Amino acid sequence: MPRIGMQAVKGTVVLALPLIALAIVAELFLPAALARLATLYLIYVTAVIGMQIYSGNSGIISFGHAGFMALGAYGSALLTIQPAVLSTSLPDLPSWLAVIAGGQTLPVGMLGALLVVGLVAALFGLPLARLGGAAASIATLGFLVIVHVTLVASVDITRGSQTFFGVPRGVSTWEALPVALVAVAVARIYRGSKGGLSLRAAREDEIAARASGVNVVRQRFIAWVLGGLVSGAAGVLLAHFLGAFSPKDFYFNLTFLLMSMLILGGISTVSGAVGGTALIVVMVDLLRRLEGGADVFGLQLPQVFGLTDIGVGVVILAVMYRLRDGLFGLREVDERLFPEPVVKAARPDPSNASDQISLSIKGVGRRFAGLVALEDVSFAVRPGLVTGLIGPNGAGKSTLINAISGVVPPSSGHVLLNGTDTALVPVHEVPMRGLGRTFQNIRLFRNLTVLENVTVAADAVARPNEDSRAAAMAALEVVGMQELAARPASSLPYGAQRRLEIARALALRPSFLLLDEPAAGMNPAETDALIVVLRQIRADHRIGLLVVEHDLKLIMRLCDHIVVLNKGQMIAEGTPEDIRANPAVIEAYIGKRRAAA
Amino acid sequence: MDIFLQQLLNALSLGGTYALLALGLAVVFSIIGLINFAHGELMTVTGYAICFALIWGLPFPLAVIGGLVVAVAAAVLMERVAFRPVRGASGTTLLLTSFAVSAILRVLFQNVISARPIPVSIPTSLSGVITIGPLHLGTIQLISIIVTLVMLLGLNLFLHRTMAGRAMRAASEDFAVLRLMGMRANSIVATAFAISGLLAGVAGILWVAQRGSVDPLMGALPVLKAFIAAIIGGLGSLSGAVAGGFLLGFIEVILQAYLPESLLPYRDAFAILLVIGVLLFRPQGLLARKTIIKL
Repeated sequence: MPRIGMQAVKGTVVLALPLIALAIVAELFLPAALARLATLYLIYVTAVIGMQIYSGNSGIISFGHAGFMALGAYGSALLTIQPAVLSTSLPDLPSWLAVIAGGQTLPVGMLGALLVVGLVAALFGLPLARLGGAAASIATLGFLVIVHVTLVASVDITRGSQTFFGVPRGVSTWEALPVALVAVAVARIYRGSKGGLSLRAAREDEIAARASGVNVVRQRFIAWVLGGLVSGAAGVLLAHFLGAFSPKDFYFNLTFLLMSMLILGGISTVSGAVGGTALIVVMVDLLRRLEGGADVFGLQLPQVFGLTDIGVGVVILAVMYRLRDGLFGLREVDERLFPEPVVKAARPDPSNASDQISLSIKGVGRRFAGLVALEDVSFAVRPGLVTGLIGPNGAGKSTLINAISGVVPPSSGHVLLNGTDTALVPVHEVPMRGLGRTFQNIRLFRNLTVLENVTVAADAVARPNEDSRAAAMAALEVVGMQELAARPASSLPYGAQRRLEIARALALRPSFLLLDEPAAGMNPAETDALIVVLRQIRADHRIGLLVVEHDLKLIMRLCDHIVVLNKGQMIAEGTPEDIRANPAVIEAYIGKRRAAA
Repeated sequence: MDIFLQQLLNALSLGGTYALLALGLAVVFSIIGLINFAHGELMTVTGYAICFALIWGLPFPLAVIGGLVVAVAAAVLMERVAFRPVRGASGTTLLLTSFAVSAILRVLFQNVISARPIPVSIPTSLSGVITIGPLHLGTIQLISIIVTLVMLLGLNLFLHRTMAGRAMRAASEDFAVLRLMGMRANSIVATAFAISGLLAGVAGILWVAQRGSVDPLMGALPVLKAFIAAIIGGLGSLSGAVAGGFLLGFIEVILQAYLPESLLPYRDAFAILLVIGVLLFRPQGLLARKTIIKL
């Protein structure tokens, strides 16, 4: 069950009202031509929202959603086509299809089409979800081409590149409105749901999202299928709006148009999709009138083919050059108009900790080609204590951290976290088994709020019926940041960003916390504040801390136990006093001659 | 066996063109992270340049040189005018910018030149068929294979033996550091686009020579294939782009040869599906660049 917050309800209502108003005005007061334009707008809004669900949340530009529209259009058209037309225009229809084709009602057509769309989306989603960034965009482009080629080639079913006609025209504003409203609600609820939030986190920083327990591949898959269904529904509407169409109506020109609508409003919000589509629909309609060579103030304009395409292209360029987040920016209209009330912190019940809380590094070694980065390192991080990991540059600290968090599996030995070998579970599962971590170079979800940053992690470990936002707020309280909850993470000062990372890791309710150079770049006052926070975490939560740090003073002040690496080998282990007195450590840090002197 | 050899040559010729295009995309991508949708329009521009040069009565070799010069100039100009304002922006921004540039250029071609294909009079000496034993090889096909190999070899020499080439390779590894070494960003990016334009130009000429006409959408389809080739090879990897181009060429030729007649119209769909299927097993592409992520 997705989390349907008040904010999603507010957002849906805020966007639904203008759409409903438009439909009423169009049907009751506007001339037929403008009413048709309003219907077309509602269809485009639905299609663009489908794109927004995938692209907006994952950050991957999709060229494929016109393909979903095509599948929806042809699927529904085949089911609903007038039987008289069917027998003459598609005489060679395969028999299995001939049984169900023709004469069905629009709802049946919609249902059948969405079934096909969902199936195709799921199949293509399997490889696609594993891709990110530009490669994923190109794969969606591949999807569009595949759909197009298949439609053109399946002459017996689609009439190939010829026009498919005889589809009952039954879509006016009244039919398009409910579909558009459902699309708005689905997109708005998904955006705020656990899945949508975690996908937005992955959009901001995939590595940090995985370390916060997000299964990025699964979330991308869900958004792709969900968005596909919504765009597919728009395709169904368009088919029954036009009555006749061919595959080229669902190819690059349409993709280009949908893209401009999404970009102009701003890809990250549903509000942007609704607003941007409105502006582009009006612009394209005006340009289309000019295209034929109009007479403006006595000036005879020449006939220009593709004026609309130029207009759309210029809009995209203008947005990219001047206004990258689009007209509506990064936050929904409702989030600006009615900011959500402050969330009350509620510390979740302590994790019914398993009997075996342990993090042991057993004989871990790692080779890169011929280079031995780490050799036979063994030690244990004990719950409720602070273990320090130090060593000169190149000692193998980063390699060890990557081995512990499961990012780079060791070539020999094991890391056992509460009984699980971290190399054997997917990276995003390691945090759920009890290991939280922070990063050397801060990795926050920059365009999410402070609270959202932490909620992503709290969601990953939330039990049913548990309010993960309240839990996230409790984690923020630990680091003293509850007042900053509504701020975007990118607006925080440096020290606060570091503390936010710690809060995010804490929200995973870890039994162990791995802090990678937490004091790097901090001034003395910030470092002192950090030490207070870390001591408190150790005292209150009985968490075992593993701190990697260059700042020896900090390590000596904070740690109960210290492990020293040098050249890939563990050269010492003990209390701060032991380490301070250990000749091997002094030699590694200062050099032999000075140490002897 | 002979049929197989014949198909092999066909695949080399087609794959070579894809490889040149994918390489042009990868050179730019590896340095500024831009997937250039307008790469296809560079091909088209080259086609038009040759077409008009021949109409004006220039001899064919001069027309070819003219076409290449125009391609390089167009690529550099495109960078200066359209892409410099968004340099350093996210991959998404760059992608969309080039998408828009490509669409605008197509409409301009349609309006300023013609929406219809214009025939290009390729010298008849190029349209012959050479018969070596049992193999029939079109002259243009042969030339296309040779030119592709020469271009790949030349680029390889340039990248490894010249100062500018080394700078390019360094830039594809880490642009920021290269700039700290005192290299000028603008000149490196301009060089990347010039090379990319040259590769698109060569591919454009080979394409026009085989088809004998130019139209506004000429570059769209081959560049679409080149995109696919580039991701299958591993985006940003130069050798990956070449390998991906040849692989896609082979897949297409094999499908063309062995698909049953009734399935032939689906060839491109099958080819892309096969290629994307590979990504299930190698999400980073075949020859992915080893990116070391500093955690």
